[in-house]
Amino acid sequence: MAEAYPCSDSESVSSSDNDQDWLNKPGEEDEDEEQEQVTVVSFFDDKGFSDAKSMLAYCKDKFDFDFLGVRDRLHLDFHGCVKLINFIRRGVKEGTALPQEITAEHLADDSLLIPVLADDALIFCLDELPERTSGQAQEKGQAAEVQNSASGGGPVVDELLQKNAQLQAELEQLAKQFTNYRLAVEQTLDKRWGVDDEGEACKTAAPVAPAEQQKKKEEEKDESAYYFESYAHTDIHETMIKDTVRTNAYRDFIYANKHLFEGKVVLDIGCGTGILSMFCARAGAARVLAVDNSAILDKARENVFRNGLDRVITCVRGRIEDVTLPVDKVDVIVSEWMGYCLLYEAMLPSVFFARDKYLKPDGLLVPSHASMWIAPVSDAEYVAENVDWWRDVYGFDMRAMQAGIYTDARMTVMPTDAVCGEAHAFRMLDLHTAKVADLVFEDSWQTTLSDKVEGLDGFLVWFDCFFGESREEAVEANLTAKEWVAAGRERVAFTTGPYDTATHWRQGLYLIDKEKAKDIEVGPGKKLVGNIRYAIPEDHARGLNITIAWALEGGDSQVQTWLLH
Amino acid sequence: MNAIMQNKHIFKDKVVLDVGCGTGILSMFAAKAGAKHVIGVDMSTIIFKAREIVKVNGLEDKITLIQGKMEEIEMPYPKVDIIISEWMGYFLLYESMLDTVLYARDRYLNKDGLIFPDKATIFVAGIEDGDYKEEKIGFWDNVYGFDYTPLKETALSEPLVDTVEMKAVVTDPTPVLTLDLYKVQPSDLAFSCPFDLTARRDDFIHALVAWFDIEFTACHKPIRFSTGPHTKYTHWKQTVFYLKDVLTVQQGEKVECSLHNRPNEKNRRDLDIKIQYRLDTQDPNRQAEGTCLYKMC
Repeated sequence: MAEAYPCSDSESVSSSDNDQDWLNKPGEEDEDEEQEQVTVVSFFDDKGFSDAKSMLAYCKDKFDFDFLGVRDRLHLDFHGCVKLINFIRRGVKEGTALPQEITAEHLADDSLLIPVLADDALIFCLDELPERTSGQAQEKGQAAEVQNSASGGGPVVDELLQKNAQLQAELEQLAKQFTNYRLAVEQTLDKRWGVDDEGEACKTAAPVAPAEQQKKKEEEKDESAYYFESYAHTDIHETMIKDTVRTNAYRDFIYANKHLFEGKVVLDIGCGTGILSMFCARAGAARVLAVDNSAILDKARENVFRNGLDRVITCVRGRIEDVTLPVDKVDVIVSEWMGYCLLYEAMLPSVFFARDKYLKPDGLLVPSHASMWIAPVSDAEYVAENVDWWRDVYGFDMRAMQAGIYTDARMTVMPTDAVCGEAHAFRMLDLHTAKVADLVFEDSWQTTLSDKVEGLDGFLVWFDCFFGESREEAVEANLTAKEWVAAGRERVAFTTGPYDTATHWRQGLYLIDKEKAKDIEVGPGKKLVGNIRYAIPEDHARGLNITIAWALEGGDSQVQTWLLH
Repeated sequence: MNAIMQNKHIFKDKVVLDVGCGTGILSMFAAKAGAKHVIGVDMSTIIFKAREIVKVNGLEDKITLIQGKMEEIEMPYPKVDIIISEWMGYFLLYESMLDTVLYARDRYLNKDGLIFPDKATIFVAGIEDGDYKEEKIGFWDNVYGFDYTPLKETALSEPLVDTVEMKAVVTDPTPVLTLDLYKVQPSDLAFSCPFDLTARRDDFIHALVAWFDIEFTACHKPIRFSTGPHTKYTHWKQTVFYLKDVLTVQQGEKVECSLHNRPNEKNRRDLDIKIQYRLDTQDPNRQAEGTCLYKMC
């Protein structure tokens, strides 16, 4: 299997013992990637075109063959078009004349799915062609026809029906594989051309200058590509799986609530190596759709196969916004979407998108709630080691290196006693009902300083995550994960805060710039109040701008903004 | 630092080029050591910080900082007397700037100019590392009850940069590559080296560990430092290559090995590494032979 599985990630090493790989000559293996121009070859001669439309127009003009006409007459879907292309290419290659009128029978053979031309650009470009009516109706129609003509018969017909069902299952399998193939092709092309759903973007973008628009899109694209690429390597998944606070929580919830998964259709968004999907499958799910847009999906597919769960779990590569799922609705959405300070990397909007599009009205989101916390920090030692250190580096003043210290959030695991006041839950998200607009907000907070306070060095932000068993289950806004678990039977929740086992999310530390901020007289028992704002930076859609305002009760307020990037 | 500060007589009144100067610390050492002028070159925007730092330390007359590629920038001096550079990467060569240093040497260094450092050697030894191998590699055999072996292959192919304890070292160390910075050519960085590892004691070998030593032979008193398991921690740590097999060796036995390294075709800063090993003994149960491919990227 290892050899057959598509390794689109050109960075990864072939782990086979094949010395040929090792000896590849320079350039041999990267020809494909280097090639930027795509040439669509004409059906009937060697002429090449830069896009599918002009090639088809040329064939219509010169050879009187109307590809789009045939497509629409036969109501061909994507696979039908692939077959039609290969039918023509095969005919031309073998020198057989095309039939006067191409019919569905000509395209019945599944072997026509195999490209006749290697890397046939026309197949890659199919999606660019003008839209037509849905092909699904046609497929259903065909199936009905077969049913009808068979309904009058005896055992022979039964046999035929059986065979038919078997073939249909095989076809479905093929179609599934092809969907993945198609997604892979689309992505490769998108990467090559830096083009993404062009039509839609143009419609809404009238007032913006086209060049600027294009540039912006490319930047977004770059950031997005980088984002998904960052999840292609093994070590990040090792870190996540070995984060037992995280993985145990999902496992415990899924295995302790098998009744929520038995016989259900589950969607796993950002499935990574497929661990959560496999938990769900083991818990009895009828079907799990595991979606991820990173190259790690190839590994997930292999993991699923090796664990004998490939009949239950279908792996689909692509962005959840773009993929075509084989079901209309799902019973459960499970996803590990949480980023630093909960909302960094902005995956939650994708989960909301999937929830609104695919989740049944009574469906369940796992996890169901998340809350965000803030607490004041006093840690002279940390400041000495990380900030003041630059003042004297081998006898040189390197204070210039401190710059980011006060403008960037620092992800770190802080010791419990660095927290110098009670933590405040500033926002609780009920994930079943929350909206994208709820992710940009300004909330107030307050705390009473403890006897740990020596000076105010900054603020610590973290999140708790709750796994409710039903949509109706509410989590009170100021309850910690621990309190919520203690209050019910077999409840699952976890915290990423400084009072419990550290997780790979660590905590977000926001250091106060003491050269700019006014010193305030803190002390045990004093009350500190303020606001915290989450916003999305203009130039970094997956980042966060976090602004915190603080003041002693009744005193002047100060404010500072940090970037999480 | 010592190499520069203890050799002020060498730096006095010399023109010095600092390749990949980063925050400018080496440039500042050279300036303090009495250099006539120091040119620091770095592609990264860190150079803006370096400029600030040089200025607050009052050395802006002595140090010129240039942002750009060594190959593209315009140098204020046609030739320099000394090149200093901290170009070493993990496993010496991974993400290393050696190519750039060699370019600077060929283009800017005076005929009898000096390079700091000027000698580098990679060593390899066999180690017993059962527990950690189990944690990093065996882990994938059973992940929460699932078979994750597809990721095991990937994990095996990624050399691990980590610290190795001296007591884990089972064999004598053997040098596999020595670079003389005055002579080495970029093409020498693709190399093959056969070598033997001799067991110091009866033990298992789970992996090979590699590290490097660096020498400043131009110094009045040669200065050298090592990044090996026997010495103080450095940020380079060591590089561990897990073998597919576990070798069972007896004291005095030799494992025949070879190491092949070449910069990756697509990205010269990445490395493709192949290690072959063979344990030839009378005991058929301990006979072992294998080839492992690694990629540092």
